[in-house]
Amino acid sequence: MSPVQNVPAFSILILMLCGILCLVLPRTASRRLADCAIALVAAGNIALLLYFLRGADAYIYSMGEIGAPFGNELRAGMLEAAVASLFSIITLLSLMGGRAHLRSDIGRQKVNLYYISTLFLLCSMLALVYTNDLFTAYVFVEINTITACGIVMSKEDGYTLAASMRYFIMSLVGSGLFLISICILYAVTGHLLMSNIQEGVAQLYAQGQYRAPLQVAIALMGVGLSLKSALWPFSSWLPDAHSSASASSSAMLSGLVLKSFIFLMVKIFYRVIGVGIMRSHAVLDLLLVFGILGMVMGSVNALFERDIKRLLAYSSIGQIGYIFCGIGLGTSAGVAAAMVQVAVHACTKAMLFCAAGGLMDASGGSKKFRDIEGAGRRDPYAGVAFIVGTLSMVGIPFFGGFITKLSLVQAAVTVGGWRNLLSILAIITSTILTAIYYINVLAIVFRAPETAPTKASEKLREEWKKQVRLDTEYEFAIILFIILNLTIGLQSDRLMQIITTGLSMFG
Amino acid sequence: MNGIGILIAIAIPILGGAFVPLLDFGSRRARESYVMAIVLAASVYTLSLLASGQGTSFVLYHLTSTIDITFRIDRYGSIFALLVSVLWPLASLYAFEYMSHLHKKNRFFGFYTMCFGITLGVAFAGNFITMYLFYELLTLVTVPLITHEGTREAKVAGVKYLVYSIAGATAAFIGMIAVLSHGGSLEFDVIGLGSAATPENRRLFDLAFLFMFFGFGVKSAVWPLHGWLPTAGVAPTPVTALLHAVAVVKSGVFAIGRVVYFTYDAGYLDGSFVQKVGLLFSAFTIIYGTVMAWKEMHFKKRLAYSTVSNLSYIVFAFLLVTPSGLEAGLLHMIFHGVMKIALFFVAGAVMHQSGRIYVTELRGFGKAMPVSIAVFTVASLALTGIPPLCGFLSKFAIAEAAVEESTPFAYFGIAALLISAIFTAAYLLTICIRAYFPPADFEPWSLKSVKEANWYMTLPLVLLAAAIILLGCFPGPLMRFIGGVVPAAFPGL
Amino acid sequence: MTNAVTLLTISDGLSIQFASDGLGRIFLCLDTVMWILAAIYASKYKEHMKKPKQFFVFFGLTYLMLAALSMAANYLTMYLCFEFMTLLSMPMVLNDGTMESIAAARKYLMYSIFGATLGLLGFFFSAYYGTSAVFVSGGVLDAAKTAGKEGTLLVTAFISIVGFGAKAGLFPLHAWLPTAHPVAPAPASAVLSGVITKAGVLCILRIVYQVYGAAFLSGTWVQTALIVLALITVFMGSMMAYGEDLLKKRLAYSTVSQVSYVLFGVFTMNPAAVLGALLHVVYHSIIKDCLFFGAGAVIFTNHKEYVSQLRGMGKKMPVTYGCFTICSLGLIGIPPFAGFLSKWYLATGSLSEGLPVLSWLGPAVLLLSALLTAGYLLPISIQGFFPGEGEKEAEGKEAPGRMLFSMLVLAAATVLLGIFAQPLSDVMQQIAGGLF
Repeated sequence: MSPVQNVPAFSILILMLCGILCLVLPRTASRRLADCAIALVAAGNIALLLYFLRGADAYIYSMGEIGAPFGNELRAGMLEAAVASLFSIITLLSLMGGRAHLRSDIGRQKVNLYYISTLFLLCSMLALVYTNDLFTAYVFVEINTITACGIVMSKEDGYTLAASMRYFIMSLVGSGLFLISICILYAVTGHLLMSNIQEGVAQLYAQGQYRAPLQVAIALMGVGLSLKSALWPFSSWLPDAHSSASASSSAMLSGLVLKSFIFLMVKIFYRVIGVGIMRSHAVLDLLLVFGILGMVMGSVNALFERDIKRLLAYSSIGQIGYIFCGIGLGTSAGVAAAMVQVAVHACTKAMLFCAAGGLMDASGGSKKFRDIEGAGRRDPYAGVAFIVGTLSMVGIPFFGGFITKLSLVQAAVTVGGWRNLLSILAIITSTILTAIYYINVLAIVFRAPETAPTKASEKLREEWKKQVRLDTEYEFAIILFIILNLTIGLQSDRLMQIITTGLSMFG
Repeated sequence: MNGIGILIAIAIPILGGAFVPLLDFGSRRARESYVMAIVLAASVYTLSLLASGQGTSFVLYHLTSTIDITFRIDRYGSIFALLVSVLWPLASLYAFEYMSHLHKKNRFFGFYTMCFGITLGVAFAGNFITMYLFYELLTLVTVPLITHEGTREAKVAGVKYLVYSIAGATAAFIGMIAVLSHGGSLEFDVIGLGSAATPENRRLFDLAFLFMFFGFGVKSAVWPLHGWLPTAGVAPTPVTALLHAVAVVKSGVFAIGRVVYFTYDAGYLDGSFVQKVGLLFSAFTIIYGTVMAWKEMHFKKRLAYSTVSNLSYIVFAFLLVTPSGLEAGLLHMIFHGVMKIALFFVAGAVMHQSGRIYVTELRGFGKAMPVSIAVFTVASLALTGIPPLCGFLSKFAIAEAAVEESTPFAYFGIAALLISAIFTAAYLLTICIRAYFPPADFEPWSLKSVKEANWYMTLPLVLLAAAIILLGCFPGPLMRFIGGVVPAAFPGL
Repeated sequence: MTNAVTLLTISDGLSIQFASDGLGRIFLCLDTVMWILAAIYASKYKEHMKKPKQFFVFFGLTYLMLAALSMAANYLTMYLCFEFMTLLSMPMVLNDGTMESIAAARKYLMYSIFGATLGLLGFFFSAYYGTSAVFVSGGVLDAAKTAGKEGTLLVTAFISIVGFGAKAGLFPLHAWLPTAHPVAPAPASAVLSGVITKAGVLCILRIVYQVYGAAFLSGTWVQTALIVLALITVFMGSMMAYGEDLLKKRLAYSTVSQVSYVLFGVFTMNPAAVLGALLHVVYHSIIKDCLFFGAGAVIFTNHKEYVSQLRGMGKKMPVTYGCFTICSLGLIGIPPFAGFLSKWYLATGSLSEGLPVLSWLGPAVLLLSALLTAGYLLPISIQGFFPGEGEKEAEGKEAPGRMLFSMLVLAAATVLLGIFAQPLSDVMQQIAGGLF
């Protein structure tokens, strides 16, 4: 057994440990610890990914060397390693990008708590990625929910409290449904380890027993996890939560948290239910239709927004719709397209939220369009980030967004029937709408000072001139985000290879 | 010839243009000199490439295992690049004067110049994905030009343009990927679908063709997707003239030509259902555009509808899917570009000098702005199709190609062509009559303040009029250059 | 056509070429003589014009184009000259500058361009299906290529001929004529009616005989339809003239009718009928020009435009009315004035052609029209000289010398060409024969 195979378990443990340590450490120390821990975890997972790329097979890691079916297991494969690396890197970059806001939003006293939440959040996401046990998954789902609420609430104002409450309640509904589904599966198969459950389910299906409970279990699990990953129409909690939170929180929530639940869902479809059975279940069609509706409705709502962070939140709903559309197509090409979108959207949206934070800073803290006019010229990094983001969202080659559009369209045209036509129409509509509201943002953000100088922007320009130079960490984070986006755009072959090999190792 | 030269030709205007908004020019002269230097450098360099670099290709990047970003200089692309390179310096010169009274010039010239490079990118694209890249960039870079004035009208026009364009490009993209996923090739040096076109796949490839046809048909203003063009008439004249008579709309027909002759081929399309659909829609658009132009009283909108109609001449010719059809379409692509840009420039000169925007207000302008109206007359006669001006030649070529094809749809096209010629005379020559022969009760002193435009604007006009006459009388070299497309597009012949 | 001179070769099969054959020379001579006479007339009439300089510029340019048209050796050159001639003659119509004249000029332009565009259709097809770009008597169609496409080619022939017929006032594209001729200054009306309409006739002659060929068109539905249209025009023109009070408009309707006599002869496709047609081209030009000069003289000197105002005017303008009467008699077809012989040959040619119904219907319509012609022309002369009891006599004086000169020359020609018809008839016979 190669030493790098220990990475999954140790990642989770290190993050937990550091999280606890942050409780007692002073502010700067806890920040450094958090950064180092996440960086270390990222490095470890990248090493694991390289290990798989060199030709290793997926493996099962028993915690504490206690064998199945009593012990707890992790399973690591190429896809899991890739996703885990991605999550870690984005978390780090989000923290870097939004650091300035942590200072201003959260207050020096409570910054520790923020880092604790973040570390546990990442920990739970990695656990969801690696776990091979359904109940453990549930535990970490709950931890995820709590810590996610934590990072929303940590910016204490009325909006965030109301938003996080709403988020919490709806999330719990989702978790509840998920739990019921687990109970049914456990009752029916008698196992909690994913691979074991799969054998049981396959057996039962072949014998024709317990059909109805299994159908219900699949449906509940689909709905439960969809609720948590903001599938339309279960996404009403998202705009408030993501827009009111601090910059790095929004970045992590939009970019990562939603994806972790989606990843879990895909994992369960492949590993617990089994691809064959999944493909014949109506829940995929449901996901497809709601995904498509999300693509359109998310963009439609974004069109009418005059608040930059709410616009980005609605945009997320739309982009999540792409992912569900991909999954709902029911082919492996579709799931691959969904995974690509997971990667691309994580980078892009996190970057945009950090940049939005920058725009707000350059506009006296306001999120409204009338105040951020011209902010792109005051904060050039945010401006360039928005240009890159727009080009990516519209789907210009060389950027990541083109690759997702390409893979989704490829998946759509190779599927037959009504699914083909519906998804094509949805892609066209959503691309148009996305282009409109992002280009509108660019127009506003780059508006030259001499046109329509509002009283507010006059004052802001004066203040900005007095403000000290930009945060280097923020600049660095933006640059790295852009590089990440371009890397996906330029090296998509490698990414597709990882995804397809990973998916084949998955189930 | 090193293929990287292609990249240089494209990069000069894009990078040069990108710097314009960032640099602070001391005077109008400085900005003009800089912009003209960039444009001329790019033009000259491109022309030298066309002369010596036929057949070079250059793979910029392998985007995925099946998709590359490739550039190639082939005869078909060279024709478009030729048109664009010759007209851009003239248009820039005109724009300097026209924009002198408007604001935000840096931003304007920045995007205007970048557009040149991007259009060259469309011309030199070696496969569909590369062309799609530049096609989308073209949309993005022209939106700020349309909304330049900042009025509510301009913003509406910009959004409309954006919606139509993105819808079209996405539909075309879907068609492209459908072709790619089922075994077709998107490279432009591979003619036709080859063995991928089995009877089972026929329906899918037909559908993909329609997606690409109507997708690119947005920029080509095929009815019913033409709506953005007349509305975009509110943009400053250099934009409507160059972009909506030459660069943007010709990119659309150029792309359709690539679909018809390079991705699909005559063997697949000749006599097929989709060919009939295309011929029908383009023939209808010819008539529709010309009737709407006749009814329209706003000068630039009238010319915009005229463009709608004339673009479908080219689309119609292309859809005949014969060598003569291809040559005729390309001939009209060039000639119409020259004629229409002259017409728009005159409209702009009239607006610039007198503020008049409706055709009914042009009484007596023949005396007040003699050079402009003379050029307008030459261009109008040419567009109506009076020999020996160039417009006659391209119309004749299209008609001959249709006569050769001798199917009912082709004949319908000839009828559309003739109907359009009559209406063109009606909506253009009546302007000339009004300008030269005002009624007896016309008071000359009412136009006392209207003077001819200065040399920045009249020089391009005169050169264009000369071109219209010379290309009509001595088209030989150009026609031979265009004829060079046939061996590439029809490998079996 | 032999020895064609190429002015410009645009591309393969497209060139501007000129040549002179018998037909072209006749038209050229006619144009030149009429133009000179009209110029002399106009040198005095210009005092009545709003913009004389503009008039003379376009007057001269139109002549150049007409001359070029007569010498055109191929379809493209003919089309080019035709279009330019329209463009250059149009400003003469709107010389007055009134809204009415501008509207009339626009109508003229549109009808002509519409007609020319229809004519272009013939060019598209003959360029593709023809063996030679240059006109060749008997037609240029390539028999091998046209096999199976005769139906299409017949349709295009019909459309093109009707198109060029617009210039000649052939129904249904005649409506511009009665509107444009009256509002133009009299010398312009004269050449428009007398000469420019014949340009349309020339184009039709070339297309019928030297592009498609009589053999191709003879006996087909195209011939039948064209003859019917010509006869309708003959009859309708005469009827409308009969009821019209505005003198110049009456003469315009008369032109509509008379030029279709010519076309009737052309479409009958028989050497005798064509001879009649060619003779009528010359006769009608001379006669109609003189009639318009007369009408113009009345307007110029006495400012009266309506026939009802002219009772007794003959006594005040004896020379003018004398010429007018002689020409009227010629137009009606009374021997020995010019105009009888052309109608004779038209009738005999039609009867000998042997077309069902039309062979006898044609001459019948011509006869009826002659009666109507008498009905709309003779009363003018009669009332001019014999105003009748109790009727108010018009005030006026004789026209100035230069205008009288032109009229006298033309009236003399009418008499002389009628009496000494043989030389012209022989020339025309040779030309007519050469078309088949």
